[in-house]
Amino acid sequence: MEGNIFLWRQYRMKELCRYAVDIAKTQGAVYADARTVEIRNQIIATEDERVSRIDDTESIGIGVRVIAEGAWGFAATSRLDKGAIEQVVSQAIAIAKAGSLAKAPDGINFADEPAHEDVFKTPIEKDPFSVSLEDKIELLLATNKEVLSVKGVSKCMSHMLFRRQRRFLANSDGSLIESDVFSSAANCQATAVDDTTAKTRYIEATPRNAGYEHIEQTPFLAEARRVGSEAVAQLSAKACPVGRKDLILHPSHLALTMHESIGHATELDRALGMEESLAGSSFATPDLLSTLKYGSPIMNIICDNTLPGGLATMGYDDDCVKGQRWYLIRDGILVDYQTNRETCNAIGAPRSHGSCRADSWSSIPITRQSNFGLAPGPEQLTPDELIADTKDGIYIEGMGSFSIDQKRQNFQFGGDCFWEIKNGKRTCMLKDVTYQAITTDFWGSLDAICDERYWVPIGVMNCGKGDPMQIAQMSHASAPARFRQINVGGAG
Amino acid sequence: MDKSRAIEILEKALRLADADAVEASIDGGTECCTRFADNVITQNSSKTDITLRVKCAYGKQHASAVTNLTSDESIKSVVERAQSAARVSPPDPEYMPPLDATEMEKYLKVNSYSDRTASSSPDARAEAVKKAAGPVQSAGYRLSGAFICGSQFSAFVNSSGLRAFHRFTDAETHTTVLGDNGSGWAQSSSNNIDEISVEETSARAFAIARDAQSPADIDPGKYTVILSSAAVQEMIYYMICDAKATDEGRTFLRGQSGKQICNEIITLRSDPGDLRCPGMPFQQDGLASPKLSWIDKGVLRNLSTSRFWASKTGRMPTGYPSNIIMDGTDATVDEMVSSTEHGILVVRFWYIRYVNPMKSLLTGMTRDGLFLIRDGKIAGPVKQLRFNESVQDVLGRVEMLGKSERIGWTLIPALKVRDFNFSSATKF
Repeated sequence: MEGNIFLWRQYRMKELCRYAVDIAKTQGAVYADARTVEIRNQIIATEDERVSRIDDTESIGIGVRVIAEGAWGFAATSRLDKGAIEQVVSQAIAIAKAGSLAKAPDGINFADEPAHEDVFKTPIEKDPFSVSLEDKIELLLATNKEVLSVKGVSKCMSHMLFRRQRRFLANSDGSLIESDVFSSAANCQATAVDDTTAKTRYIEATPRNAGYEHIEQTPFLAEARRVGSEAVAQLSAKACPVGRKDLILHPSHLALTMHESIGHATELDRALGMEESLAGSSFATPDLLSTLKYGSPIMNIICDNTLPGGLATMGYDDDCVKGQRWYLIRDGILVDYQTNRETCNAIGAPRSHGSCRADSWSSIPITRQSNFGLAPGPEQLTPDELIADTKDGIYIEGMGSFSIDQKRQNFQFGGDCFWEIKNGKRTCMLKDVTYQAITTDFWGSLDAICDERYWVPIGVMNCGKGDPMQIAQMSHASAPARFRQINVGGAG
Repeated sequence: MDKSRAIEILEKALRLADADAVEASIDGGTECCTRFADNVITQNSSKTDITLRVKCAYGKQHASAVTNLTSDESIKSVVERAQSAARVSPPDPEYMPPLDATEMEKYLKVNSYSDRTASSSPDARAEAVKKAAGPVQSAGYRLSGAFICGSQFSAFVNSSGLRAFHRFTDAETHTTVLGDNGSGWAQSSSNNIDEISVEETSARAFAIARDAQSPADIDPGKYTVILSSAAVQEMIYYMICDAKATDEGRTFLRGQSGKQICNEIITLRSDPGDLRCPGMPFQQDGLASPKLSWIDKGVLRNLSTSRFWASKTGRMPTGYPSNIIMDGTDATVDEMVSSTEHGILVVRFWYIRYVNPMKSLLTGMTRDGLFLIRDGKIAGPVKQLRFNESVQDVLGRVEMLGKSERIGWTLIPALKVRDFNFSSATKF
């Protein structure tokens, strides 16, 4: 029964997209796209020995975007019938015409893109929605039990999240895109409490566009006691030193530092001032393109929306631009941006890189971070060798506190777990470590990156941007990397 | 969606369910947003959607399912999904049965709906933006921001006879005016669009931006600060902690209930019926949003308490804050500046995050205007700074309260605070 409903819905969604674009053109749109999206999420959350939440959500609707009289209009509805489509198209056109009162002098310069007709589907081995709830609950509660068996652990919370996004996207260029994207993630957090404080440590199946096999491949049970022990150990760990230290950052940590200090700074809409009022702008302005020394010569940042498992890998973006791979930073120099069809002309690029996405059918597509990563070092280098080569440093795993100014220059980060490095050896655990730097100084201090064997993509599921706020997902990859003489411990 | 249609859909869900206990809610409405940057409109959108949530329980086994579709087939499907998940969920010792209909007697009357806001047009929003951008652009500055308005509703029913409906409207504008070397910011929010002027809000941001050009370097360190209402609002959320987490020793407020935790001039409370910033009269499980003090004259009086934790500890169930009100005085920011020999005026904060939640230690940046105060006067703009501060300690060092101002769903005064810790500077 569900299969029949699904097939009918899929047929209907495709037809409605085409219909919306056709009538938008007759109503004066010089460009139009229509996007039907069906999003399903399943969330299972546990606390200690209990299941605290099971949520199975679906959201279905259509968003129509038009350019008319030199301005944008966007309207969205969850009603999927022809009458509603006619209404929503008329609304989008009316909004665009109203907006033309205060439009840009040159209107909207929307870059050309060939018409694409294509289907994209995340390759998965096991549909997470076909795996029984019982199996998922059993794994979470068994992991919690292992974590709680560690003396000193007083709380364990874990959850799984599965997402499926089915999309039809048609535009007035003649594109017709169909995509079916699966994402899977799981996380388990241990908390230890003593008379004065509480400390946490987590293990996760990093969010990834994949099926349930991704969860099965993550050693939750095998790692549970270690995670619990590390939470307890942090209670009595040595306090964060104050001063300059070399930092060795694990991919599970560096992902967020890259996200904040590179990812947002190189979104071209921000660099052009289009997000000034909310998310902010960027120090990496277009006049600095090809000259800004972002980091050391070994710093190469490559975007890749074709990355297998990448959370932004969805075939095409919401501008109907095919997923691409390109350098953002080459040999330490800013050489490109993350762009959409509206902004790419501003840097003289004839074609968008395909970084335009909406978080829902009801949201207007905006420039979002792509999958990107720090290229691994060209020479063989293991994490152990990197530590052995470091006299006085700190090794950091996992994400913690993070904050950065609106131009993406002054930042301060924490982490999830920290170890002191003395004379080439990990000596003891530290707690409450923070480091603070200016973006270009920080990346300028990068002096070693482990090789591709240790290059790992880490998923970010909660990137907020836009107004109203949209939450996007993407992945950032790296191998463990070393940054010399960074200020630590200034947070007090 | 009107009340009768919303309740009809929810009643249908109740009838279709065979679970021991059922709760169903619909939240939704229309939200319109006109965004602008560099003096022109850049995004312009309208969306209409609903969220139908059904929670089913067999004994203490429970689960929820959500859809945004309201056809008979979709209602049936969402009920079945919730029920089938509930059947395989282990019994939850913290599950609470649905509230009975007497809970409705506790709902405070909240009138936060305006017809004119609900029917506002994109033309009116565009005209407002054009009018606001004119003087800014003429002076060589750039206006960015958003003008947002919407009408929303929330309906709730359960199998114990509780029925609830509330509708409200929102209107808000926030504006940033950018010069070549500095920026200013201002916001306005109300439930009534007639109380929002993009032009007036933009003019306030423009005045700050003019004064903020060419900021000087300043050394980080401890300063007396005047924090605007918007800056205080960014920090104040962190003072309301979950009761269970606190009792289990996992928040900075552990062991502090009933004790003096900050300056006695601080009172932090919620009152959904306060028309200056009205809140929701009920919460997602139908619980009445109470009028209560979180901090009363510096004493910690309440923690955010779920129904389960309330039943276990004998506390009053509070749910989440429906709004946040910090009582202020009649003092203006100008008067607070006049009373300051040496200090810094903060227009707003940005990107505040916990550094150490067990110490209420936060970090964040100043943004869109930072001014040095010398001898009771604004001496000039300075470059933005990063702070690392305990919000609890900040409230312990408050020397003066300003007049409360509505910021979103809060009503917050400016604060004068001594020894505020700025830890580093940025480049602009």
